[in-house]
Amino acid sequence: MQFRPTAWLVVLALCGTLAAPSTPASAAGDTIVFGSPVSLTGSLTKEGHLTQEGYEFWKTYINAHGGIKVGGKSYKVDIKYYDDESKNDTSAQLAERLIDQDHVNFILGPYGSGTSFTVAQMVERKKIPMVEGNGAAEKIFNQGFRYTFGVLSPAKRYLEGIIDMASQQKPAAKTVAITAASDAFSQEVAQGAAAAAAAHHMTVVYNNKYPDTATDVSSVISALKQTNPDLVLNAGHVQDALLVQKGLKEQNVQAKGYGYTVGPDTPDFANSLGKDANEVFGAAQWSDAVKYKGAPGFYQTAQQYAKAFEAAYHHRPDYHNAESTAACLAFQYAIEKAGSLDPEKVRDALAKLDVTTFYGIIKFDSRGLNVYKPMVTNQIQNGKLVTVWPKGLAEKPVIWPAKPWGQR
Amino acid sequence: MQLWAQDLVNGILAGGILAVVALGFSLVWGIMNIINLAHGAFVMLGAYLTWELFRQLHVDPFLSLPITFVALFVLGYLLQRYVINWVARAPILTTFLLTFGLSLLIVNIALIIWTGDTRGVTTSYSGANFTVAGVTVPWAKLLTLVAALAITGVLQLWLTRSKMGRAIRATSMDIGAAQLSGVRVAHIYAIVFGLGAGLAGVAGTLVSLSYALTPTMGDPFVVAAFVVCVLGGLGSVQGALVGGLVYGIVEAFATQLDVTIGTQHISGSGLQDAIALVVLLIVLLVRPTGIIGRATA
Amino acid sequence: MTPSSTHRALRGIGLGGITGSPIAFAFVLAVMAALLAVPFAHNDYLNIVFRNILMYAAMAYGWNLIGGYTGYVSFGNVTFFGLGAYCSGLLSQAHVDNLLADVALAVAVAGAFAIVVGFPLLRLRGHYFAIATLGVGLAVSDVVANLDALGGTSGLAVRQDNAHFWIYYYAMWAVALASILGTYAIARSKLGYAFVAIRENEDAAAVLGISPTRYKITAWAIGAAMAGAAGAVFGVANGFIDPSITFSPDSNVFPIVMTILGGIGTVGGPFIGALILAGVNELLQRYFVNAHTLFFGAMIVLVVLLLPRGLVWLFGMRGGVRAWLATLTAYKA
Repeated sequence: MQFRPTAWLVVLALCGTLAAPSTPASAAGDTIVFGSPVSLTGSLTKEGHLTQEGYEFWKTYINAHGGIKVGGKSYKVDIKYYDDESKNDTSAQLAERLIDQDHVNFILGPYGSGTSFTVAQMVERKKIPMVEGNGAAEKIFNQGFRYTFGVLSPAKRYLEGIIDMASQQKPAAKTVAITAASDAFSQEVAQGAAAAAAAHHMTVVYNNKYPDTATDVSSVISALKQTNPDLVLNAGHVQDALLVQKGLKEQNVQAKGYGYTVGPDTPDFANSLGKDANEVFGAAQWSDAVKYKGAPGFYQTAQQYAKAFEAAYHHRPDYHNAESTAACLAFQYAIEKAGSLDPEKVRDALAKLDVTTFYGIIKFDSRGLNVYKPMVTNQIQNGKLVTVWPKGLAEKPVIWPAKPWGQR
Repeated sequence: MQLWAQDLVNGILAGGILAVVALGFSLVWGIMNIINLAHGAFVMLGAYLTWELFRQLHVDPFLSLPITFVALFVLGYLLQRYVINWVARAPILTTFLLTFGLSLLIVNIALIIWTGDTRGVTTSYSGANFTVAGVTVPWAKLLTLVAALAITGVLQLWLTRSKMGRAIRATSMDIGAAQLSGVRVAHIYAIVFGLGAGLAGVAGTLVSLSYALTPTMGDPFVVAAFVVCVLGGLGSVQGALVGGLVYGIVEAFATQLDVTIGTQHISGSGLQDAIALVVLLIVLLVRPTGIIGRATA
Repeated sequence: MTPSSTHRALRGIGLGGITGSPIAFAFVLAVMAALLAVPFAHNDYLNIVFRNILMYAAMAYGWNLIGGYTGYVSFGNVTFFGLGAYCSGLLSQAHVDNLLADVALAVAVAGAFAIVVGFPLLRLRGHYFAIATLGVGLAVSDVVANLDALGGTSGLAVRQDNAHFWIYYYAMWAVALASILGTYAIARSKLGYAFVAIRENEDAAAVLGISPTRYKITAWAIGAAMAGAAGAVFGVANGFIDPSITFSPDSNVFPIVMTILGGIGTVGGPFIGALILAGVNELLQRYFVNAHTLFFGAMIVLVVLLLPRGLVWLFGMRGGVRAWLATLTAYKA
């Protein structure tokens, strides 16, 4: 048997399969197909899965409740996913595949600011609307894009709630230390935090960054400790949140309060740290304690949503789940209002959308960013995450100042 | 508190772990001429094994060190003997490619088993520390350093004094002569690779005390291992230790750089990697085979 | 070390001379010709798939020159790709929207950088050189990520010509073709023999009058130019660059993996490796959404074990199953 011809044939077959178009996803004429590149593997696996859960939960509900009504006709919903491996340019290419090969109607955003940005650029070129719930960097919305909409509050506002709360406690926080990972999202959060601190007449005594692949942040913490801050803030993701919190205890940094962006809201944080996670504040886009009354067409309160979600997925929904579902809701209401599946009409309907949901108000400014929804501040108390700020939404009072390490 | 003294201590403590991570990598590379890109995956497996033992059987991580060593040693031995051995004498890039593929396999299998959730090992003494002369030293990190030094010492003794150790060094120097003296090369290679994996597992255990566990957690450690190995000297046990300590100390002191020129913030901690690498390049240009140098007889 | 003995050495391991299997080379040219037709399918997505293959091919050829022919394994060639991409980014910031200018600047910058860094680095041998290049790549990536003027971690948007998007495909095609033909020309010239001589026995080569430093730097600089050009086109074609995309570990490792898989030190190998690796990766992603990386890893392991001499070997060998079986144990310890 000669190998040479076989080798040629294999390579040619490969090229052929590559070039072959796959069957369009919207084969049936009465299904609306959404496409979504999410991080099913790579460094953002967990967050990608949370995003997917949020989307799927909505899809199950909507299909069980008559689908989306477009001009009198009921459409079922389907969502096609690809794995972007947590990589920025892969995400955009996958979105392109979803549009060109799989012929999806609309795009649901990926997880993360980096990926959301590249996909936003791509959908702008393709003129297909995208709604995302997991990319908070304002950079995405400062480019003049018309086809991207974000239902979440911008990165700059993440730590505002914690700063606001800390400034109103007794004894009030006067000095702030900010550490941030080097990625775009974390840097924007840090900038916003510094600005908010200044607005609340607090002094920023330390403001530094570390590489987001850092394996050790002890020296950043040592330098921070020297400045003796009242409030320690960290802008990063789950992995570095854990690293920082452990480091703070190891070096005996005794501040009045500790606040993080993504970490505390994930069950992983409390599970991994046990008692050392107590009294830590987390910034959240949503919590199940919020008191919004949503429009009909979906669960109308956060509590109803949380209960149904937990029954389906066996864990309490965190804000990544909720904001992903909210992205779907934006499409749902916009499509119904537009009465059409035409991308331009849906885009215009999205731009004019103004609806309250279990997640909060969904309304976009001229750039496509939802600046109308406030952030929520949670605190881990006795291993449970409770909402403590703004006061109107508080389930429990704030624990402040933090007790010494080991006594929490 | 004197910041520079604290930085020095931080650097030494961090460097100790990096030394253990680099140790196995360096041995396999120096002795077998194999760049094991799956090394990070082995570290990850060691960490997860420790986590499971801690979570299910309440075994303290330090006590699980021998268990992770043996478990990963066996895995490494079998992997080398029955998979990698087929191309053990191929050009270094062939094995590079093979271990690249193996790494993808192992990480993705781990992803299926343990999902992408972030895990942590927090013991009762986690975070406990003592302060001496104004410098705060965390107990867990100190114990890790002690473990690292002990492991390095034992390994060095074993390689120089024991029969197996001598056979290994003979094989690395001249495979033909070693074979003629009755050394079973395939078996030796498997032992060395198993040793490398076992050390990676041990490193994973030590790392799990402070670093969060995910299937991809090994990646930054492999990069550090590359640099530390070469910094200290390939294949040299003392080299890995010295390289690790130097690397850790440099990165710790780098955070002292914190200036703003105009609107450009120059942050030493943000430029950690760049600074450490400049140090590496300087060392290599002055001493091309690393600080300690290539392991010889 | 005479050129003909190198020739014999290479033939001895199944490769047809310094250029590799001529049939493989012809195959590569044929596929390149076929790829000219891709934009006519009017499918933006297919454009990207094949444009990526061409991009990786160019980078693989760049690596092949220093790693394959000269035997100096570099883990830092992604630096040149990244520098090229940022050249496009910076020119775009300066309102220069000329693809030719982007590529020209990238070639100059990448080549110059390779020469400057090459002088100290290429004095190191083997493993030490490899890690030093890794270090350079990481350091440059770090510095870029920290410079606000280059966009920091947020990156830079690069203006594109949306009306004539097919230009970017052909530009990448041209870069790949230049890399292929350039490698072929080099391989058959005195440069090529000098590179291989250095790889086989650097000290002997020096004694015979081949100045290693000069040739090593030349190899690295030409390879850098290839990667830089690919980076420049990518920068504009992608419309956006940031350190994670342009200095990514993937962009670093894939060209190496592709070259090894395809066949190092040959003219056909890098392209075939790029085609197969990127192609299979694409298909796996399409049909195995959840497990594609797992299968990809498994595939690499199988290919290395079953074809230890690289894919291009399949094109050059004579004989059937028995010859193949013999290769399986050739490297066994």
